[in-house]
Amino acid sequence: MDRRTLLMAAGALTLAGRAARAAEEVVIGAVYPLTGNGASVGLDAKAAIETAAELINGTHAPVATLLGKGGGLAGLGGAKIRLVFADSQNDPQKARAEAERIITQEKAIAIVGSYTSATGATISQVTERYEVPYISADNSSPSLNLRGLKWFFRTTPHDIMYTQGTFDFFADVGKKTGKPVKTVALFYEDSIFGTDSSNVQRKLAEAAGIKVVADIKYRASSPSLSSEAQSLKAADADVIMPSSYTSDAILIMKSMAEIGYKPKAVMAQGAGFQETAFLTAAGPLANGVMSRSSFALDAGKTRPAIDPVNALYKAKNNKDMNDNTSREFTALMVLADAINRAGSAKPTDIQAALKATNIPGDQLIMPWKGVKFDETGQNILCNPVIQQVFDGTYKTIWPFDLAAEAPVWNI
Amino acid sequence: MTETLLQAAMSGLLMGLLYALVAAGLSLIFGLMDVVNFAHGEMMMLAMYATFVIWQATGLDPLLQIPIVAVVMFALGVAVYRGLIARALSVQFNTGMVQIFVTFGLAIFLRGAAQLVFGGEFKSITSSWLSGRTVHLAGIYLPLPQVAAGLVCLLAFAALLLISRTEFGRALEATREDRDAVALIGIDRDRIFALGWGLGAAAVGIAGVMLASFYYVSPNVGANFAVIAYVTVALGGFGSLAGALVAGLLIGEIEALTAVVLEPSLKQVGVFAVYLLVLMVRPRGLFGKL
Repeated sequence: MDRRTLLMAAGALTLAGRAARAAEEVVIGAVYPLTGNGASVGLDAKAAIETAAELINGTHAPVATLLGKGGGLAGLGGAKIRLVFADSQNDPQKARAEAERIITQEKAIAIVGSYTSATGATISQVTERYEVPYISADNSSPSLNLRGLKWFFRTTPHDIMYTQGTFDFFADVGKKTGKPVKTVALFYEDSIFGTDSSNVQRKLAEAAGIKVVADIKYRASSPSLSSEAQSLKAADADVIMPSSYTSDAILIMKSMAEIGYKPKAVMAQGAGFQETAFLTAAGPLANGVMSRSSFALDAGKTRPAIDPVNALYKAKNNKDMNDNTSREFTALMVLADAINRAGSAKPTDIQAALKATNIPGDQLIMPWKGVKFDETGQNILCNPVIQQVFDGTYKTIWPFDLAAEAPVWNI
Repeated sequence: MTETLLQAAMSGLLMGLLYALVAAGLSLIFGLMDVVNFAHGEMMMLAMYATFVIWQATGLDPLLQIPIVAVVMFALGVAVYRGLIARALSVQFNTGMVQIFVTFGLAIFLRGAAQLVFGGEFKSITSSWLSGRTVHLAGIYLPLPQVAAGLVCLLAFAALLLISRTEFGRALEATREDRDAVALIGIDRDRIFALGWGLGAAAVGIAGVMLASFYYVSPNVGANFAVIAYVTVALGGFGSLAGALVAGLLIGEIEALTAVVLEPSLKQVGVFAVYLLVLMVRPRGLFGKL
């Protein structure tokens, strides 16, 4: 055997080894802010996605959800999911570079991400170019699925769906209590999430005949929000509608209290307001705050998987699942289901399987009707719920048939 | 509207005092040895975590923690000078760049270390003597934690001014003016530098304690304040304590009033517009001597 044959044989062996390993594991990338301003959310997301992977890969008592039996992906001969996490630092440019790195170097066949809409926008451009699916778990900006992308799939509701839910709630609760919303104050951060969210709110308010008495765009992560609080106080709307991430959510609630202003009602566009850190830091100030949510921890009756999944997550991260982590968990489950049905790790097969996705609601931990993507890649079966803080915990108050508590409504 | 303006002006004043004290430490170090401490915000962040941790472990009120945290931060400042800055200064080439990178690297290290130790969560001190208390005076609301922070900042400034009158202060001033000549008259330059770093860190530490009493704590909290501190120092004049005070108040006011009169998302525009204007008319800053 000459040297060349030897080298070729060695090369062939390595390749064969790689192929064999590829059948045993499916590499999925996840891009989240693991350091920096969004780290508290990103690290929770990591735990939630790991929980999903453990549920799929591990051996455990069956859980009443998609792939809840464990033991890997049956469609791929029991292949295991291997997660590769990348840190976006909440920066769209870093997110782009990291997405590229995990596709080209770590050989990820799909990416899940990414909390902020600004990073979701850049990551999905990269996945489009490399032709691998991007599962948007929690980017809620409505414009994201309208860019004609073929590899973009969003399991979560976007802000138009959320906001529509919010205004439906206003109409319902107005009828029920005889106290309809007449005025709202919009308060939103200055990146894609806040501006998109406020655009929808403005439009829907007008359609519902509700007057927007304050329209306040603020700089995210400002050291002080007291002037903004002052403007909200001066407007004194029936409902304040903030679109803010965690630090600003904490700060605005404190700043309003400091100038002696107790808003009649606060209806948040999820995000920071749904975070445990917000509830702890704002303490009693958070009581009565309402927020749209896609998750209802208290809906265990109709979604039996919630309690066991939450227990798995809690064992890992020492807190309950919330609006964000439940959606991140769900995104990986939906992706894994598609890969399983495709029976292949080839991106085009997974893309086809994602398009054919039709998961009934009772297979999820979400209160949604199910998961089914339209031609833009948007899940059309995800209906939001409205929650309110009672003694430091979010309880579902709407739709009324899913509600755990009656709303406290003092406008 | 008048009430809104008055309230905004008052909020600006209280925030401005805090900005001023944060900037004072930075200005002191810069004026003394021409080193910009890019880890200044992170030092404040450490002081805030120290306050939070002590509060959580013992329940000691932030107000009582001022001397403890100030001493700890003083020691940290001296240690940073002796361990990093003095070494960086002794580099023979590209000294300017090395100084920038050493403090910049320190900033990133401290931020990462804080996240490793404390996690990325936002923490906050939920109960203290003053927390949640607000005084209503002539139509204006005064949140007591901020009022206390403003007063402490003023006291700290008075202390810094007193120190600058002592023999040590004169040595500091002399070192600032001619760092080579002072060695000839028997002043230990290295010791003065170390004490300068200690004082600067203690000043930002006191600001951190007061801020922690009403603000959230997270590994990145320093960054938001550091940018303002750099502007404050440049606006007030490098190395000038009075300049830091006046510029801090000015920035607090501009920020608060731009937000009310124009639009909140423009408040940094207001701050930087005034900053650029001052630099055009008076490049050395309001109180700068150089």
